Amino acid sequence: MPLRITLGAAGVALIAVGLFFLLPLPGLLGVVFWFAGAIALHDALIGPIVLVTGLLVARLPDRAVVRGALITMGGLVLITIPALLRPGPSPNPTVLVQDYPRNLLICLAAVAVVAVVLVLVRRRR
Amino acid sequence: MGPMNPTLPQFRGRLHDARTAVAIGRWLGSAVVVCFLTGLISHVLQHPPGWMTGLLPVRPAWGYRLTQGLHVASGLAAIVLVMAKLWAVYPRLFAWPPFRSLPHLVERLSIALLVAATVFELFTGLINILQWYPWPFSFTQTHYAVAWIVAGSLLLHLAVKAPLIRENWRRKKADVDAADRRALLAGVGAAVGAVTLTTVGQSLSALRGFDLLAPRSPNVATQGMPINRTAAAAQVTYASSDGWALEVAGPKPFRVTLAELEAMPQRRVRLPIACVEGWSADAWWSGVPVRDLLARAGAPPGSALRVESLEVWGYYRVMEMPAQYADDPDTLLALRLNDEVLSLDHGYPARIIAPNRPGVLQTKWVSRMEVR
Repeated sequence: MPLRITLGAAGVALIAVGLFFLLPLPGLLGVVFWFAGAIALHDALIGPIVLVTGLLVARLPDRAVVRGALITMGGLVLITIPALLRPGPSPNPTVLVQDYPRNLLICLAAVAVVAVVLVLVRRRR
Repeated sequence: MGPMNPTLPQFRGRLHDARTAVAIGRWLGSAVVVCFLTGLISHVLQHPPGWMTGLLPVRPAWGYRLTQGLHVASGLAAIVLVMAKLWAVYPRLFAWPPFRSLPHLVERLSIALLVAATVFELFTGLINILQWYPWPFSFTQTHYAVAWIVAGSLLLHLAVKAPLIRENWRRKKADVDAADRRALLAGVGAAVGAVTLTTVGQSLSALRGFDLLAPRSPNVATQGMPINRTAAAAQVTYASSDGWALEVAGPKPFRVTLAELEAMPQRRVRLPIACVEGWSADAWWSGVPVRDLLARAGAPPGSALRVESLEVWGYYRVMEMPAQYADDPDTLLALRLNDEVLSLDHGYPARIIAPNRPGVLQTKWVSRMEVR
Protein backbone atom coordinates (compact mmCIF):
# COMPACT_ATOMS: atom_id res chain seq x y z
CA MET A 1 0.00 0.00 0.00
CA PRO A 2 2.73 2.58 0.79
CA LEU A 3 4.36 1.70 -2.54
CA ARG A 4 1.06 2.29 -4.29
CA ILE A 5 0.60 5.67 -2.63
CA THR A 6 4.19 6.69 -3.43
CA LEU A 7 3.66 5.71 -7.06
CA GLY A 8 0.44 7.71 -7.26
CA ALA A 9 2.02 10.73 -5.58
CA ALA A 10 4.99 10.56 -7.96
CA GLY A 11 2.52 10.47 -10.84
CA VAL A 12 0.70 13.56 -9.60
CA ALA A 13 4.06 15.32 -9.12
CA LEU A 14 5.16 14.56 -12.70
CA ILE A 15 1.80 15.77 -14.06
CA ALA A 16 2.38 18.99 -12.09
CA VAL A 17 5.85 19.31 -13.66
CA GLY A 18 4.28 18.90 -17.10
CA LEU A 19 1.63 21.53 -16.39
CA PHE A 20 4.32 23.86 -15.03
CA PHE A 21 6.11 23.64 -18.39
CA LEU A 22 2.92 23.61 -20.46
CA LEU A 23 0.77 26.37 -19.00
CA PRO A 24 3.08 29.34 -19.75
CA LEU A 25 3.45 28.32 -23.43
CA PRO A 26 1.80 30.34 -26.18
CA GLY A 27 -0.84 28.51 -28.19
CA LEU A 28 -2.20 26.70 -25.13
CA LEU A 29 -5.74 26.73 -26.49
CA GLY A 30 -4.42 24.85 -29.51
CA VAL A 31 -2.95 22.19 -27.23
CA VAL A 32 -6.29 21.76 -25.43
CA PHE A 33 -8.02 21.48 -28.81
CA TRP A 34 -5.52 18.84 -29.98
CA PHE A 35 -5.92 16.90 -26.71
CA ALA A 36 -9.68 16.77 -27.17
CA GLY A 37 -9.16 15.95 -30.84
CA ALA A 38 -6.90 13.02 -29.92
CA ILE A 39 -9.61 11.46 -27.76
CA ALA A 40 -12.39 12.19 -30.28
CA LEU A 41 -10.35 10.81 -33.20
CA HIS A 42 -9.77 7.55 -31.39
CA ASP A 43 -13.03 7.03 -29.54
CA ALA A 44 -15.35 8.14 -32.32
CA LEU A 45 -13.50 7.04 -35.45
CA ILE A 46 -10.55 4.65 -35.08
CA GLY A 47 -12.11 2.61 -32.23
CA PRO A 48 -15.42 1.92 -34.00
CA ILE A 49 -13.71 1.11 -37.33
CA VAL A 50 -11.46 -1.44 -35.60
CA LEU A 51 -14.31 -2.96 -33.60
CA VAL A 52 -16.61 -3.30 -36.61
CA THR A 53 -13.75 -4.90 -38.57
CA GLY A 54 -13.25 -7.29 -35.65
CA LEU A 55 -16.93 -8.18 -35.72
CA LEU A 56 -16.77 -8.85 -39.46
CA VAL A 57 -13.82 -11.24 -39.21
CA ALA A 58 -15.08 -12.92 -36.03
CA ARG A 59 -16.75 -15.77 -37.90
CA LEU A 60 -14.12 -16.28 -40.59
CA PRO A 61 -12.17 -19.51 -40.71
CA ASP A 62 -8.53 -18.94 -39.72
CA ARG A 63 -9.66 -15.88 -37.83
CA ALA A 64 -6.50 -15.74 -35.72
CA VAL A 65 -4.24 -15.28 -38.75
CA VAL A 66 -6.63 -12.91 -40.53
CA ARG A 67 -6.88 -10.77 -37.41
CA GLY A 68 -3.10 -10.70 -36.94
CA ALA A 69 -2.62 -9.71 -40.58
CA LEU A 70 -5.22 -6.93 -40.29
CA ILE A 71 -3.61 -5.58 -37.10
CA THR A 72 -0.23 -5.55 -38.85
CA MET A 73 -1.64 -3.84 -41.94
CA GLY A 74 -3.44 -1.34 -39.72
CA GLY A 75 -0.21 -0.48 -37.92
CA LEU A 76 1.66 0.02 -41.19
CA VAL A 77 -1.11 2.22 -42.62
CA LEU A 78 -1.32 4.26 -39.41
CA ILE A 79 2.35 5.23 -39.40
CA THR A 80 2.34 5.99 -43.15
CA ILE A 81 -0.83 8.11 -43.31
CA PRO A 82 0.97 11.39 -42.49
CA ALA A 83 3.51 10.77 -45.25
CA LEU A 84 0.65 10.12 -47.70
CA LEU A 85 -1.30 13.20 -46.61
CA ARG A 86 1.43 15.78 -46.10
CA PRO A 87 0.50 18.67 -48.37
CA GLY A 88 2.81 20.83 -50.40
CA PRO A 89 6.32 20.26 -51.61
CA SER A 90 8.83 18.48 -49.43
CA PRO A 91 10.75 20.95 -47.25
CA ASN A 92 14.05 19.57 -48.45
CA PRO A 93 15.29 16.98 -50.90
CA THR A 94 16.08 14.31 -48.30
CA VAL A 95 12.79 14.32 -46.35
CA LEU A 96 9.92 12.15 -47.61
CA VAL A 97 12.20 10.71 -50.20
CA GLN A 98 10.36 7.50 -50.81
CA ASP A 99 7.41 6.52 -52.98
CA TYR A 100 5.11 5.94 -50.00
CA PRO A 101 1.97 4.68 -51.78
CA ARG A 102 4.06 2.10 -53.67
CA ASN A 103 6.10 1.07 -50.62
CA LEU A 104 3.01 0.78 -48.45
CA LEU A 105 1.38 -1.48 -51.05
CA ILE A 106 4.54 -3.62 -51.13
CA CYS A 107 4.44 -3.95 -47.32
CA LEU A 108 0.72 -4.76 -47.24
CA ALA A 109 1.18 -7.35 -50.00
CA ALA A 110 4.07 -8.91 -48.06
CA VAL A 111 1.87 -9.18 -44.96
CA ALA A 112 -0.89 -10.78 -47.04
CA VAL A 113 1.55 -13.32 -48.50
CA VAL A 114 2.88 -14.21 -45.06
CA ALA A 115 -0.71 -14.61 -43.80
CA VAL A 116 -1.67 -16.93 -46.67
CA VAL A 117 1.45 -19.05 -46.10
CA LEU A 118 0.64 -19.22 -42.38
CA VAL A 119 -2.92 -20.37 -43.10
CA LEU A 120 -1.67 -23.06 -45.50
CA VAL A 121 0.93 -24.29 -43.01
CA ARG A 122 -1.62 -24.41 -40.18
CA ARG A 123 -4.12 -26.33 -42.31
CA ARG A 124 -1.55 -28.93 -43.31
CA ARG A 125 -0.88 -29.78 -39.68
CA MET B 1 -19.09 -3.93 -15.54
CA GLY B 2 -22.05 -3.04 -13.35
CA PRO B 3 -25.58 -2.49 -14.56
CA MET B 4 -26.19 -2.15 -18.28
CA ASN B 5 -27.71 0.75 -20.10
CA PRO B 6 -29.65 -0.67 -23.07
CA THR B 7 -28.93 2.37 -25.25
CA LEU B 8 -25.16 1.89 -25.01
CA PRO B 9 -23.24 -0.59 -27.17
CA GLN B 10 -22.73 -4.04 -25.67
CA PHE B 11 -19.45 -5.92 -26.03
CA ARG B 12 -19.34 -9.70 -26.00
CA GLY B 13 -15.70 -10.17 -27.05
CA ARG B 14 -14.04 -11.92 -24.14
CA LEU B 15 -10.57 -10.58 -24.87
CA HIS B 16 -11.62 -7.08 -23.75
CA ASP B 17 -10.50 -7.98 -20.25
CA ALA B 18 -7.92 -7.06 -17.63
CA ARG B 19 -5.61 -9.93 -18.63
CA THR B 20 -5.28 -8.57 -22.20
CA ALA B 21 -4.95 -5.00 -20.89
CA VAL B 22 -2.11 -6.05 -18.58
CA ALA B 23 -0.34 -8.09 -21.27
CA ILE B 24 -0.39 -5.25 -23.82
CA GLY B 25 0.08 -2.64 -21.11
CA ARG B 26 3.40 -4.18 -20.14
CA TRP B 27 4.76 -3.73 -23.66
CA LEU B 28 3.27 -0.27 -24.05
CA GLY B 29 4.59 0.79 -20.64
CA SER B 30 8.10 -0.37 -21.58
CA ALA B 31 7.96 1.51 -24.89
CA VAL B 32 6.73 4.67 -23.15
CA VAL B 33 9.49 4.48 -20.52
CA VAL B 34 12.20 4.08 -23.21
CA CYS B 35 10.63 6.88 -25.23
CA PHE B 36 10.41 9.20 -22.20
CA LEU B 37 13.97 8.60 -20.98
CA THR B 38 15.57 8.91 -24.43
CA GLY B 39 13.47 12.05 -24.96
CA LEU B 40 14.85 13.51 -21.73
CA ILE B 41 18.39 12.73 -22.89
CA SER B 42 17.70 14.51 -26.17
CA HIS B 43 16.22 17.52 -24.37
CA VAL B 44 19.19 17.82 -22.00
CA LEU B 45 21.70 17.53 -24.88
CA GLN B 46 19.88 20.25 -26.83
CA HIS B 47 18.86 22.60 -24.03
CA PRO B 48 21.04 21.75 -21.02
CA PRO B 49 20.25 23.58 -17.81
CA GLY B 50 23.29 25.65 -16.77
CA TRP B 51 24.53 23.27 -14.10
CA MET B 52 24.52 20.34 -16.53
CA THR B 53 26.55 21.81 -19.41
CA GLY B 54 29.84 20.61 -17.91
CA LEU B 55 28.46 17.11 -17.35
CA LEU B 56 27.30 16.27 -20.90
CA PRO B 57 29.25 13.23 -22.14
CA VAL B 58 31.31 13.51 -25.32
CA ARG B 59 31.61 9.73 -25.60
CA PRO B 60 30.45 7.41 -26.96
CA ALA B 61 30.37 9.37 -30.21
CA TRP B 62 27.34 7.32 -31.30
CA GLY B 63 25.45 7.91 -28.03
CA TYR B 64 22.86 10.31 -29.42
CA ARG B 65 22.56 8.20 -32.55
CA LEU B 66 21.49 5.29 -30.35
CA THR B 67 19.22 7.15 -27.92
CA GLN B 68 17.41 9.20 -30.55
CA GLY B 69 17.06 6.17 -32.84
CA LEU B 70 15.49 4.39 -29.87
CA HIS B 71 13.28 7.40 -29.12
CA VAL B 72 11.69 7.37 -32.56
CA ALA B 73 11.58 3.55 -32.81
CA SER B 74 9.91 3.16 -29.40
CA GLY B 75 7.48 5.96 -30.25
CA LEU B 76 6.49 4.27 -33.51
CA ALA B 77 6.09 0.93 -31.71
CA ALA B 78 3.97 2.66 -29.07
CA ILE B 79 1.57 3.90 -31.76
CA VAL B 80 0.63 0.30 -32.54
CA LEU B 81 0.62 -0.70 -28.87
CA VAL B 82 -1.55 2.19 -27.71
CA MET B 83 -4.14 1.30 -30.35
CA ALA B 84 -4.16 -2.32 -29.16
CA LYS B 85 -4.40 -1.21 -25.52
CA LEU B 86 -7.29 1.14 -26.27
CA TRP B 87 -9.02 -1.66 -28.17
CA ALA B 88 -8.75 -3.91 -25.11
CA VAL B 89 -10.31 -1.37 -22.73
CA TYR B 90 -12.71 0.29 -25.19
CA PRO B 91 -15.90 -1.20 -23.65
CA ARG B 92 -15.08 0.57 -20.39
CA LEU B 93 -15.71 3.85 -22.17
CA PHE B 94 -19.41 2.95 -21.96
CA ALA B 95 -19.44 2.02 -18.26
CA TRP B 96 -22.80 2.83 -16.72
CA PRO B 97 -23.35 4.89 -14.63
CA PRO B 98 -20.54 7.13 -15.94
CA PHE B 99 -19.18 7.42 -12.42
CA ARG B 100 -20.14 5.67 -9.23
CA SER B 101 -18.29 7.83 -6.75
CA LEU B 102 -15.90 10.75 -6.57
CA PRO B 103 -12.79 8.49 -6.62
CA HIS B 104 -14.23 6.71 -9.67
CA LEU B 105 -14.78 10.04 -11.42
CA VAL B 106 -11.21 11.12 -10.61
CA GLU B 107 -9.93 7.79 -11.94
CA ARG B 108 -11.83 8.20 -15.21
CA LEU B 109 -10.59 11.77 -15.62
CA SER B 110 -6.99 10.63 -15.01
CA ILE B 111 -7.44 7.99 -17.71
CA ALA B 112 -8.82 10.62 -20.09
CA LEU B 113 -5.68 12.68 -19.39
CA LEU B 114 -3.42 9.64 -19.93
CA VAL B 115 -5.10 8.73 -23.24
CA ALA B 116 -5.24 12.30 -24.55
CA ALA B 117 -1.64 13.09 -23.58
CA THR B 118 -0.28 9.80 -24.96
CA VAL B 119 -2.11 9.98 -28.28
CA PHE B 120 -1.19 13.68 -28.57
CA GLU B 121 2.47 12.93 -27.88
CA LEU B 122 2.71 10.01 -30.31
CA PHE B 123 0.80 11.82 -33.04
CA THR B 124 2.78 15.08 -32.83
CA GLY B 125 5.99 13.05 -32.75
CA LEU B 126 4.97 11.08 -35.85
CA ILE B 127 4.10 14.25 -37.76
CA ASN B 128 7.28 15.99 -36.62
CA ILE B 129 9.57 13.36 -38.11
CA LEU B 130 8.15 14.48 -41.47
CA GLN B 131 9.10 18.09 -40.65
CA TRP B 132 5.41 18.97 -40.82
CA TYR B 133 4.01 21.40 -38.24
CA PRO B 134 0.25 21.76 -38.80
CA TRP B 135 -0.46 23.17 -35.31
CA PRO B 136 -0.53 26.54 -33.60
CA PHE B 137 1.97 25.69 -30.83
CA SER B 138 5.72 25.17 -30.58
CA PHE B 139 6.46 21.50 -31.20
CA THR B 140 9.64 21.24 -29.14
CA GLN B 141 8.34 22.93 -26.00
CA THR B 142 4.89 21.33 -26.10
CA HIS B 143 6.18 17.83 -26.88
CA TYR B 144 8.58 18.19 -23.91
CA ALA B 145 5.94 19.47 -21.46
CA VAL B 146 3.33 16.86 -22.44
CA ALA B 147 5.94 14.09 -22.05
CA TRP B 148 5.93 14.78 -18.29
CA ILE B 149 2.14 14.60 -18.25
CA VAL B 150 2.27 11.23 -20.04
CA ALA B 151 4.86 9.90 -17.56
CA GLY B 152 2.94 11.24 -14.56
CA SER B 153 -0.48 10.03 -15.61
CA LEU B 154 1.05 6.62 -16.44
CA LEU B 155 2.47 6.30 -12.90
CA LEU B 156 -0.87 7.41 -11.48
CA HIS B 157 -2.64 4.85 -13.67
CA LEU B 158 -0.29 2.08 -12.45
CA ALA B 159 -1.00 3.08 -8.84
CA VAL B 160 -4.77 3.06 -9.36
CA LYS B 161 -4.75 -0.27 -11.20
CA ALA B 162 -2.10 -1.94 -9.01
CA PRO B 163 -4.42 -4.66 -7.61
CA LEU B 164 -5.74 -5.56 -11.08
CA ILE B 165 -2.21 -5.62 -12.49
CA ARG B 166 -0.98 -7.86 -9.69
CA GLU B 167 -3.91 -10.20 -10.20
CA ASN B 168 -3.28 -10.54 -13.94
CA TRP B 169 0.50 -10.28 -14.13
CA ARG B 170 0.97 -14.02 -14.39
CA ARG B 171 -0.95 -16.25 -16.74
CA LYS B 172 -4.05 -17.50 -15.03
CA LYS B 173 -4.14 -21.28 -14.74
CA ALA B 174 -7.67 -21.49 -16.02
CA ASP B 175 -7.69 -19.07 -18.93
CA VAL B 176 -10.38 -20.46 -21.23
CA ASP B 177 -9.32 -17.93 -23.88
CA ALA B 178 -5.60 -18.73 -23.73
CA ALA B 179 -5.26 -19.73 -27.42
CA ASP B 180 -7.29 -16.81 -28.74
CA ARG B 181 -5.44 -14.37 -26.50
CA ARG B 182 -2.06 -15.73 -27.59
CA ALA B 183 -3.08 -15.29 -31.22
CA LEU B 184 -4.18 -11.70 -30.58
CA LEU B 185 -0.93 -10.85 -28.79
CA ALA B 186 1.05 -12.52 -31.58
CA GLY B 187 -0.79 -10.29 -34.06
CA VAL B 188 0.06 -7.16 -32.05
CA GLY B 189 3.66 -8.32 -31.79
CA ALA B 190 3.79 -8.89 -35.54
CA ALA B 191 2.45 -5.37 -36.12
CA VAL B 192 5.13 -3.86 -33.86
CA GLY B 193 7.76 -5.94 -35.66
CA ALA B 194 6.53 -4.85 -39.11
CA VAL B 195 6.41 -1.16 -38.17
CA THR B 196 9.91 -1.35 -36.66
CA LEU B 197 11.38 -3.32 -39.56
CA THR B 198 10.07 -0.89 -42.21
CA THR B 199 11.28 2.27 -40.42
CA VAL B 200 14.28 1.53 -38.20
CA GLY B 201 16.62 1.42 -41.20
CA GLN B 202 16.69 5.22 -41.12
CA SER B 203 19.02 4.94 -38.14
CA LEU B 204 20.14 1.29 -38.01
CA SER B 205 22.39 0.86 -41.02
CA ALA B 206 22.10 -2.94 -41.03
CA LEU B 207 18.36 -2.69 -41.82
CA ARG B 208 18.58 0.10 -44.40
CA GLY B 209 17.33 -2.26 -47.07
CA PHE B 210 13.98 -2.59 -45.27
CA ASP B 211 13.50 1.17 -44.76
CA LEU B 212 10.36 1.42 -46.89
CA LEU B 213 8.11 3.69 -44.82
CA ALA B 214 10.38 6.01 -42.82
CA PRO B 215 10.40 9.68 -43.81
CA ARG B 216 14.15 9.46 -44.34
CA SER B 217 16.32 7.09 -46.20
CA PRO B 218 20.04 7.47 -45.59
CA ASN B 219 20.39 6.07 -49.11
CA VAL B 220 18.84 9.25 -50.50
CA ALA B 221 21.46 11.80 -49.74
CA THR B 222 23.99 14.15 -51.23
CA GLN B 223 27.66 13.38 -50.60
CA GLY B 224 26.44 10.29 -48.69
CA MET B 225 24.54 12.22 -46.04
CA PRO B 226 20.90 13.37 -45.73
CA ILE B 227 20.23 17.06 -45.09
CA ASN B 228 18.02 18.50 -42.40
CA ARG B 229 18.09 22.21 -43.19
CA THR B 230 18.87 23.22 -46.75
CA ALA B 231 20.87 26.26 -47.76
CA ALA B 232 17.73 27.60 -49.41
CA ALA B 233 15.77 27.30 -46.14
CA ALA B 234 18.60 29.06 -44.30
CA GLN B 235 18.86 31.66 -47.09
CA VAL B 236 22.53 30.94 -47.64
CA THR B 237 24.01 31.02 -51.17
CA TYR B 238 27.50 30.63 -52.53
CA ALA B 239 27.48 34.44 -52.80
CA SER B 240 27.06 34.62 -49.00
CA SER B 241 30.54 33.20 -48.60
CA ASP B 242 32.21 35.47 -51.20
CA GLY B 243 35.33 36.79 -49.52
CA TRP B 244 34.56 34.54 -46.56
CA ALA B 245 37.00 34.46 -43.67
CA LEU B 246 36.43 32.78 -40.35
CA GLU B 247 36.55 35.20 -37.46
CA VAL B 248 37.79 33.72 -34.17
CA ALA B 249 37.25 35.98 -31.16
CA GLY B 250 39.31 35.37 -28.03
CA PRO B 251 42.31 36.69 -26.10
CA LYS B 252 44.27 36.67 -29.41
CA PRO B 253 41.55 37.19 -32.05
CA PHE B 254 42.29 36.35 -35.69
CA ARG B 255 40.73 35.82 -39.10
CA VAL B 256 41.53 32.99 -41.49
CA THR B 257 40.53 32.50 -45.11
CA LEU B 258 39.40 29.16 -46.50
CA ALA B 259 42.78 28.71 -48.21
CA GLU B 260 44.55 29.29 -44.90
CA LEU B 261 42.28 26.80 -43.13
CA GLU B 262 43.02 24.23 -45.83
CA ALA B 263 46.74 24.80 -45.28
CA MET B 264 46.47 24.04 -41.54
CA PRO B 265 47.02 20.46 -40.26
CA GLN B 266 43.87 18.48 -41.14
CA ARG B 267 42.25 15.66 -39.24
CA ARG B 268 39.94 13.01 -40.72
CA VAL B 269 37.37 11.38 -38.40
CA ARG B 270 34.37 9.12 -38.77
CA LEU B 271 31.41 10.63 -36.93
CA PRO B 272 27.63 10.37 -37.29
CA ILE B 273 25.06 13.06 -37.89
CA ALA B 274 22.15 12.03 -35.68
CA CYS B 275 19.06 14.11 -36.06
CA VAL B 276 16.33 14.74 -33.55
CA GLU B 277 13.88 13.33 -36.12
CA GLY B 278 15.52 9.96 -35.64
CA TRP B 279 17.54 9.39 -38.78
CA SER B 280 21.29 9.10 -38.54
CA ALA B 281 24.25 8.26 -40.73
CA ASP B 282 28.01 7.92 -40.37
CA ALA B 283 30.46 9.77 -42.57
CA TRP B 284 34.10 10.71 -42.94
CA TRP B 285 34.76 14.33 -42.07
CA SER B 286 38.01 16.24 -42.56
CA GLY B 287 38.98 19.67 -41.34
CA VAL B 288 40.76 21.59 -38.65
CA PRO B 289 40.35 20.43 -35.02
CA VAL B 290 38.44 23.12 -33.14
CA ARG B 291 40.93 22.88 -30.26
CA ASP B 292 43.73 23.97 -32.63
CA LEU B 293 41.75 27.11 -33.51
CA LEU B 294 41.05 27.78 -29.83
CA ALA B 295 44.73 27.35 -28.95
CA ARG B 296 45.69 29.81 -31.68
CA ALA B 297 43.17 32.30 -30.25
CA GLY B 298 44.91 32.01 -26.88
CA ALA B 299 41.92 30.37 -25.20
CA PRO B 300 42.68 29.20 -21.65
CA PRO B 301 42.15 25.48 -20.99
CA GLY B 302 38.51 24.61 -20.31
CA SER B 303 37.14 27.33 -22.57
CA ALA B 304 33.67 26.90 -24.02
CA LEU B 305 32.80 28.12 -27.49
CA ARG B 306 30.08 30.08 -29.23
CA VAL B 307 29.63 29.39 -32.93
CA GLU B 308 27.65 31.60 -35.31
CA SER B 309 26.33 30.70 -38.74
CA LEU B 310 25.96 32.69 -41.96
CA GLU B 311 22.29 31.79 -42.02
CA VAL B 312 19.96 34.78 -41.85
CA TRP B 313 17.55 33.29 -39.37
CA GLY B 314 17.16 30.03 -37.48
CA TYR B 315 16.59 28.69 -33.97
CA TYR B 316 20.11 27.29 -34.02
CA ARG B 317 21.94 30.10 -35.85
CA VAL B 318 24.05 30.64 -32.73
CA MET B 319 25.30 27.46 -31.04
CA GLU B 320 26.94 27.11 -27.64
CA MET B 321 29.53 24.35 -27.29
CA PRO B 322 30.55 23.27 -23.78
CA ALA B 323 34.28 23.02 -23.07
CA GLN B 324 34.49 19.22 -23.13
CA TYR B 325 33.26 19.13 -26.75
CA ALA B 326 35.46 22.04 -27.86
CA ASP B 327 38.50 20.29 -26.36
CA ASP B 328 37.83 16.87 -27.94
CA PRO B 329 40.36 16.09 -30.71
CA ASP B 330 37.55 14.76 -32.94
CA THR B 331 35.55 17.99 -32.86
CA LEU B 332 36.29 19.62 -36.20
CA LEU B 333 35.63 22.69 -38.19
CA ALA B 334 34.99 20.41 -41.14
CA LEU B 335 35.77 21.44 -44.71
CA ARG B 336 35.20 18.08 -46.39
CA LEU B 337 32.54 15.38 -46.22
CA ASN B 338 33.45 11.92 -47.46
CA ASP B 339 36.55 13.48 -49.04
CA GLU B 340 34.63 16.01 -51.12
CA VAL B 341 34.46 19.76 -50.50
CA LEU B 342 31.26 20.40 -48.51
CA SER B 343 28.30 21.13 -50.74
CA LEU B 344 26.36 24.30 -49.95
CA ASP B 345 23.57 22.24 -48.36
CA HIS B 346 26.11 20.53 -46.11
CA GLY B 347 27.47 23.84 -44.84
CA TYR B 348 30.06 25.19 -47.31
CA PRO B 349 32.51 26.74 -46.63
CA ALA B 350 32.89 25.23 -43.14
CA ARG B 351 30.75 23.45 -40.58
CA ILE B 352 31.03 22.00 -37.10
CA ILE B 353 31.09 18.26 -36.48
CA ALA B 354 31.38 16.99 -32.89
CA PRO B 355 30.84 13.61 -31.25
CA ASN B 356 27.58 12.77 -29.43
CA ARG B 357 25.61 15.93 -30.21
CA PRO B 358 22.18 16.36 -31.86
CA GLY B 359 22.33 17.26 -35.55
CA VAL B 360 20.90 20.76 -35.06
CA LEU B 361 24.01 21.64 -33.02
CA GLN B 362 26.37 20.58 -35.84
CA THR B 363 26.33 24.17 -37.08
CA LYS B 364 26.67 24.71 -40.82
CA TRP B 365 27.98 27.76 -42.74
CA VAL B 366 30.13 28.81 -39.79
CA SER B 367 31.05 32.51 -39.89
CA ARG B 368 32.37 33.25 -36.42
CA MET B 369 33.71 31.46 -33.36
CA GLU B 370 34.03 33.07 -29.98
CA VAL B 371 35.99 31.80 -26.98
CA ARG B 372 33.72 31.86 -23.92
